Amino acid sequence: MTTPDGSAPESGAASADVGAGEGTAERRRAGTAERRREDTGGRAGEGPADRTGKGHRTAGRLGLSFRVLLTVGLIVAAVVPLAIFGSILMLAGLYTNGRVVVPLLIAAIVGAAFFGLLAAAFAATALTAPLRYIAAAVERVAAGEHSPPIHLAGDDELARLAESHNRIAAESQRRNRELGALLTAVATYTPAQGVKALAALAEKDACHIYSLIDCRLALVDPATVPIEESIPGDPRPVRADVSAGGEPLGVLTGHLPATRGWERADQDLLDLFSSEVGMALRNAELFGQIESQNARLVELDAAKDEFLRGVSHNLQSPLTSIRAYVDQLRAGSEEAARDRRLQIVAEQADRLTRLVRQLLTVTRLEAGALRPEVEVFAVGPRVRRAWEALNATEVAFELRDAGRGWLAVADPDQLDQVLWALLDNAVKYGGRDGRVEVDVRTDDTSDRLNVTIADHGPGVSEADRKRLFKRFTRGASQGSGEGTGLGLYVSRQLLRAMDGELRLEPAREGIGAAFTLSLPGEPPGDGD
Amino acid sequence: MIEPRPQRILLVDDDANLLVVLAEQLHDDGYEVATARDGQEALRRLEAGWPDLILLDLMMPRVDGLAVAREIKAAADLPIIVLSAIDTADSKAHLLDEVAEDYVTKPYNYPELRARIQRVLRRLGDRIPRQSLVLGPNLTIDLHRRAATVGGTEVKLTPTESRLLHALAGNLGEVVPTETLLARGWTETEGADTSYVWVSIRRLRQKIEVDPDVPVHLLTVRGVGYRLVSTHDDA
Repeated sequence: MTTPDGSAPESGAASADVGAGEGTAERRRAGTAERRREDTGGRAGEGPADRTGKGHRTAGRLGLSFRVLLTVGLIVAAVVPLAIFGSILMLAGLYTNGRVVVPLLIAAIVGAAFFGLLAAAFAATALTAPLRYIAAAVERVAAGEHSPPIHLAGDDELARLAESHNRIAAESQRRNRELGALLTAVATYTPAQGVKALAALAEKDACHIYSLIDCRLALVDPATVPIEESIPGDPRPVRADVSAGGEPLGVLTGHLPATRGWERADQDLLDLFSSEVGMALRNAELFGQIESQNARLVELDAAKDEFLRGVSHNLQSPLTSIRAYVDQLRAGSEEAARDRRLQIVAEQADRLTRLVRQLLTVTRLEAGALRPEVEVFAVGPRVRRAWEALNATEVAFELRDAGRGWLAVADPDQLDQVLWALLDNAVKYGGRDGRVEVDVRTDDTSDRLNVTIADHGPGVSEADRKRLFKRFTRGASQGSGEGTGLGLYVSRQLLRAMDGELRLEPAREGIGAAFTLSLPGEPPGDGD
Repeated sequence: MIEPRPQRILLVDDDANLLVVLAEQLHDDGYEVATARDGQEALRRLEAGWPDLILLDLMMPRVDGLAVAREIKAAADLPIIVLSAIDTADSKAHLLDEVAEDYVTKPYNYPELRARIQRVLRRLGDRIPRQSLVLGPNLTIDLHRRAATVGGTEVKLTPTESRLLHALAGNLGEVVPTETLLARGWTETEGADTSYVWVSIRRLRQKIEVDPDVPVHLLTVRGVGYRLVSTHDDA
């Protein structure tokens, strides 16, 4: 890109060389000349008539218009010879009748001046009319209107100027059209089409946009595709690298008809197209990756759910048999009913059952297929039953029921699972002083029942507090214990699904960890 | 109420172990038990005489339990309790509502199962049409689908609510004592008392009455119980 500098270089600009003497402008005021920039932003191509600046002032040396100069010039040209001739005559002594010669001379000079004026007017028109014609055409092209080629009769500089204008106008219109076609084509590319389809589309579009004979987009390392030599007379090869974000993706090659020229501006346009194609290809690639990753994730998720469901189903039948037979054995005799071993088998079968239930609940929760079926029931007795099912006989248990006959509105089975999880935790983390306390209270203002389960263990550390209810964490102080029960995350989700809540109480003196379940509650009413 | 004869239960399960144990347990509790290993055998047993209740295991691997249940229901409109892996939280649970009065998940607790059998058997004598029951311009109940249409909107009923309405609709217009409703809505193992009935009726009113504070269908009979009325006949 050249910037206008102080001295305008020699140009073949067709400023008509008119008149003799001091007519021609030697110096252009290049500082005010703006180069007309092609839309490609590249350097203006080289050619005969290409440095005409828009807004360029045809200023003569003295800032006088061309017409004035011409007129003055012609008049001077007509008058000066006569004046000189008359002077010579007078000086040569042919001056005899001064009275005749001088007025004659003056008349001749005036006449010459008059004819000079006429000639100037004629010549100026002959010159400025075509120039105005050309200027009008230039204006049209500059405004982007369609402008047919202009013709000037003759073979001189003016005619050549007209031809130059035509060439420029044609080139610029062509490039504008190509740019428009380029943008339209690129706008149709979407990532969902896929890399191969986009490459094929890009080939077709390039041929169409640039009127190429053929075109190929090879998705290979550009270095592996040799640069074709341009042989005069043969179709001209063109080439552009396709890349995205600095990474080469391929190379676009093609051929132009031998008669077509290929300028810097055209290469720029092809590069622009290639870079857009590169971006579209990159997007398609990424899109494809994301799609396949998503598909895999969905598959894996479904497979996991299927597996877990299958496992829990397969466990249910054998467990049913075990429980049924143990019950029968224990009912067989007094001794059997007291047999601790049979009791343990029954308890362990129950424990397994609870775990299977919890497993099913978790998979349903993950699949979003969990729907709580709410019932009304007294929560105090429910808590006691849940505790008894755990059979933690070495741990002291105290239930303080201030429910005042209120009934909880909740899914009993799911609540059982949450209670088991919390009570189990209370036993596991209760520490040496194994004591579990449960408080049931009503909240009249919000119609809720609150159940707080507290242990006397070390409690929950500050760091763990924040992560406690998150999906995939376990407390840092986790022992090796059998921690396959319902996690706190799932417990909270279950409660929330039935319009309840689960929270960890702030640390207090004399208490380890305390969790409060909150459930919608109904006062018993008075029998109406 | 003393039954003149032991109640008959038909047990349909392909697991031989289970059939044996459960049949024995039920027999020990005073029921007469017949067994069948699959749907065809079940239908044959039906031909020989109708039981009072059918216990059907849906988890039979080579038999489509749901199809068997439908066939049985078509042959004889008897109450069915299904043993299944599907529990109430499953999206397929509503399919079972068509054919089963109740369902118990495996592994089950025998006392719980027995209590549910007793609860279902208390329903004998009810004659509820298996189609929509229109009780008024703003209330239609579909007990076979556990739903009611209130003023144009459909509401789902919980199993307990459905059982209570069943008891009330089975004695349309008459008072049903609170104790009866208690026995029909809950099993002994659940530890329910009359407050459960009060609260449930109150919640039912919220669901099926246009104005719960001024009930027109679900009425209280002070000191005795409740009754369900249709607003069509003004008798």
